[in-house]
Amino acid sequence: MIISTNWLAEYVSLSASADALVERLLLSGLNHESTRTIGSDTAIEIEVTSNRPDCLGHIGVAREAAVLFARPLHIPDPRLQEAAVAAAADIAVEILEPQICPFYSARVLKGVRVGPSPQWLVDRLATVGVASVNNVVDVTNYVMLECGQPLHAFDLAKIRGGRVIVRRALPGETFTAINHKTYPLTDAMGVIADAEGAVALAGVMGGAGTEIASDTTDILLESAQFAPLSVRAAARGLVLASASSYRFERVPDPAAVDWASRRAVAMIAEIAGGHVSRGVVEAGHLKVSPATILLRNGRVAEVLGIEIPAERQQAILIGLGFVAETVDGAGSRWRAPTWRRDCWREIDLVEEIARIEGYDKVPENEPIAARPVAESARERTLRRASEVLVAAGLCEAMTRSVVGAPLEVTASPWGDTPPLVCAPPLVRGADRLRRTLLPSLLEARAVNVAVGAQRPDLFETARGYLARSADSSGQASDDRPTAPSPVEEPLLVSFVIGGGFASAKGLAEAVLERLGLVAGAVSDARVVVRPVVLDLFAPGRAGEIVLERPGRAAERVGVIGEVAAAALAAAGLKDSVAAAELRLDRLEFAVDMEPARCRPSDFPAIERDVNLIVDQAVPWGDIATAIDDGGGVLLEECRLVQVWTDAERLGAGKKSFVVSLRLRSNAGTLSGEEANRTVEAVVAACGRQCGAVLRA
Amino acid sequence: MAIESFVAELEAFREAASESLGRVADGAGLEQARIEFLGARSGRLKAIQKLLSGLVATDRPAGGRHFNEAKAAVTALLADVQERLVGGGAARPTADAIDVTLPGDPVRLGHVHPITQTIRRVQEIMARLGFESVDGPEVEDQWHNFEALAIPAEHPARDPLDNFYLAVARGADPLLLRSQTSTVQIRVMENRRPPLRIVSLGRVYRPDTADATHYPMFHQVEGLLIEPGTTMAHLKSVLRQLASSFLGGDVHVRYRPSFFPFTEPSVEFDMQWGGRWIEMGGAGMVDPAVLAAVGYDPDEVSGFAFGLGVERIAARRYGVADIRDFYRNDVRFLRQF
Repeated sequence: MIISTNWLAEYVSLSASADALVERLLLSGLNHESTRTIGSDTAIEIEVTSNRPDCLGHIGVAREAAVLFARPLHIPDPRLQEAAVAAAADIAVEILEPQICPFYSARVLKGVRVGPSPQWLVDRLATVGVASVNNVVDVTNYVMLECGQPLHAFDLAKIRGGRVIVRRALPGETFTAINHKTYPLTDAMGVIADAEGAVALAGVMGGAGTEIASDTTDILLESAQFAPLSVRAAARGLVLASASSYRFERVPDPAAVDWASRRAVAMIAEIAGGHVSRGVVEAGHLKVSPATILLRNGRVAEVLGIEIPAERQQAILIGLGFVAETVDGAGSRWRAPTWRRDCWREIDLVEEIARIEGYDKVPENEPIAARPVAESARERTLRRASEVLVAAGLCEAMTRSVVGAPLEVTASPWGDTPPLVCAPPLVRGADRLRRTLLPSLLEARAVNVAVGAQRPDLFETARGYLARSADSSGQASDDRPTAPSPVEEPLLVSFVIGGGFASAKGLAEAVLERLGLVAGAVSDARVVVRPVVLDLFAPGRAGEIVLERPGRAAERVGVIGEVAAAALAAAGLKDSVAAAELRLDRLEFAVDMEPARCRPSDFPAIERDVNLIVDQAVPWGDIATAIDDGGGVLLEECRLVQVWTDAERLGAGKKSFVVSLRLRSNAGTLSGEEANRTVEAVVAACGRQCGAVLRA
Repeated sequence: MAIESFVAELEAFREAASESLGRVADGAGLEQARIEFLGARSGRLKAIQKLLSGLVATDRPAGGRHFNEAKAAVTALLADVQERLVGGGAARPTADAIDVTLPGDPVRLGHVHPITQTIRRVQEIMARLGFESVDGPEVEDQWHNFEALAIPAEHPARDPLDNFYLAVARGADPLLLRSQTSTVQIRVMENRRPPLRIVSLGRVYRPDTADATHYPMFHQVEGLLIEPGTTMAHLKSVLRQLASSFLGGDVHVRYRPSFFPFTEPSVEFDMQWGGRWIEMGGAGMVDPAVLAAVGYDPDEVSGFAFGLGVERIAARRYGVADIRDFYRNDVRFLRQF
């Protein structure tokens, strides 16, 4: 909304400068956008929040200024000199759709001379950015910008059949607006029709067929109430927002409907001549029901934390147009002004008093009591995972939660229900809520490769979105607030790095270790990695991380793999890439954040290497378990040194694991004999459980 | 051991040290000699020191004196030699001297995203004020995203063009990607009783065309305090502490009345940054209708809420002119933080 300071002076006489006015308006709710000098006038652009349609007219802003600067407010009282002929003789009004138009009024002027507007009117409109059209249209715009009520002037001679009907648009109906573009209408929109068809799009724009032209002599002036929903449907549906639709969407003062009509007709008669027909033709019911509100004594202080004297509170409310109905020991009772539909509760009055008094009066050194607060398990899990990945040299990425079809073709590691789709798309082509972060990270890596960024190893922590299948939730259509959401949002930490499976696995294991999840650790939870087949990963080069806890079903908590050639190609990557994704939402409950660890032994260790020969098919994981079982408490660490095959030296179908064992006791220095016995036990366990033999 | 033999050992030690140090030609040789004679672990003086305990008790004070003299003498000799070497040494680089301007072995460090860093900073400050961080779903229902926040069905904020609605529904209403993190506050209030101090944070979604200052996905941090007797003065005091901790003690904060459906009175707050007022976020006293919607009695408890746009603060904090840079994930950008 642009305000002309010259115009404002019609209603309130201010001695303050434009800058001082701007500052006070800004601190009482009308945010400042810009100030420009235009000729002898000043244009102040302000931002008006959607609850204040009264400030979409100069009078509303003047009222604010009058209260803020304690000046009287002067509002003109338009008087009409009406001719003997009745308006009803020329026009009839009918509302078929009260939901679209609760109230419609028409006045008639005859014998008008359409022409250019006087210079003062042209200047006023120019200051607020409105181009002059002719003396009739300019007055309708002027009055709208004065009081906030949109008006429309029709050429009465072009209204066919002497009647206007407010109805819904018909299926297939089209409408040519005053901008001479033709629009297809829907039944969500309202139209003003004459006996033959639509002559205006209700509350949005007039029609080309009935516009005021140089040869127009008789005028029908519309002042009406249109419902916000149908105005919005038309303005948005047709991309045809106007100053009128903007105001109707915010519901102007109902009491201004008649004032604006009288004001405009009087001004047109004065500027363009003509005779005002007697009376006004109306249809519908004008709903004016201002609230009566009790303001309890002490309530302002309870909300604001400061005392404002009762007289000051009352002066503010009266200045804003509230009417005191009763004042007694308990409080005061106020009738809200018709233009303040947003004020209907006690708290609304408190806000009015507060914003005029100024929030700078409220102190900012009020102590608040201390309260303990702890980091949640989820926060700690997230932070620890992020710490490990940052320490390992990865950068944290942030990618879009909603992706395009090419990224979503790969199946998610977390279920095969199809992705959720949103409308509109987040950005062009991206309307699928992702089920895994990995394709987004591949895409981000490709962006880095394209610009030649070195080692673009990235990780991200974010949610995935999984539709719960109907049978898994059992009650997907349940709408009780306690029912489980039909959408599951796993918390994922994912990374994509250059290198092979072992690099990704090492990093994933480091994260798990930082969370206290080490195989065979003190915690009763244990993670194992098993081969898995997933579209995203190369066949035979992928594993799933499974969390095993006593008394619970094992569940997948992560996947690791070398990215499949097809996925690399889709992302535009050439070099091999490994990736992993972990479900922190499944890990956070298993995490051992304050483990009770043992004191390290003070006694020396003994290192022994063993060379175990097994069948090719035996995975290391089985050997590791057997070594663990055989080594018992004396086995401090088992490290895989080498894996090799040699048909001649080991035999066909065999492989060798070279393992370094570190043995140590908590109780005393280990003897060579004890060490030998432990190694024998390890070898025996490996033989028993995996068919391993010691290579001589 | 007799004191005489002990003194003789010391004499021999001094002679050997003197002779050896006389031959020293460079820093390495000096260090070698130092270790040989004065080394704390296995130097020759150390060995002699052990002999002290072999003296009869009455000889020990005298032995100790001789020992200290010998030690001081050799230490002084060492210092002389060192001075000799350094005096003319600057011009004579030793064979194993290094070019100290060569690069160190690189350590590759990762970087936390600037948005995450900003969120953590706000979380940290708020935690000191007793606010606990909470989390909630990003796919929301209409109750939590709108109705409980006093945004009725006909409100323009619910327009399909202004939200990302999903094809999936809960009951009759389609779900949507949340447009604000206030949803989490509702969820917490539904499940807990006051007193309550929480910060909700995370991704939110609004259909804005991406440009230098807008992105259809962004992050919010929202604070909520519900306690009996809470006033606007508490709100201003908490925001003052947040501003001072974040930007420095002397930062100016100003409040402009505004309009949000879920707070009343509502304000926007600006902070003065580099001589300009920067819009930081919105705030207000929790609307009585919102308190009633979650089953609290608005006459018993009151509270305040505030929200900050993280991208806007991060952009300002780091001088990032285009917020789309935060989502491009170019490591050359990320490594600057």
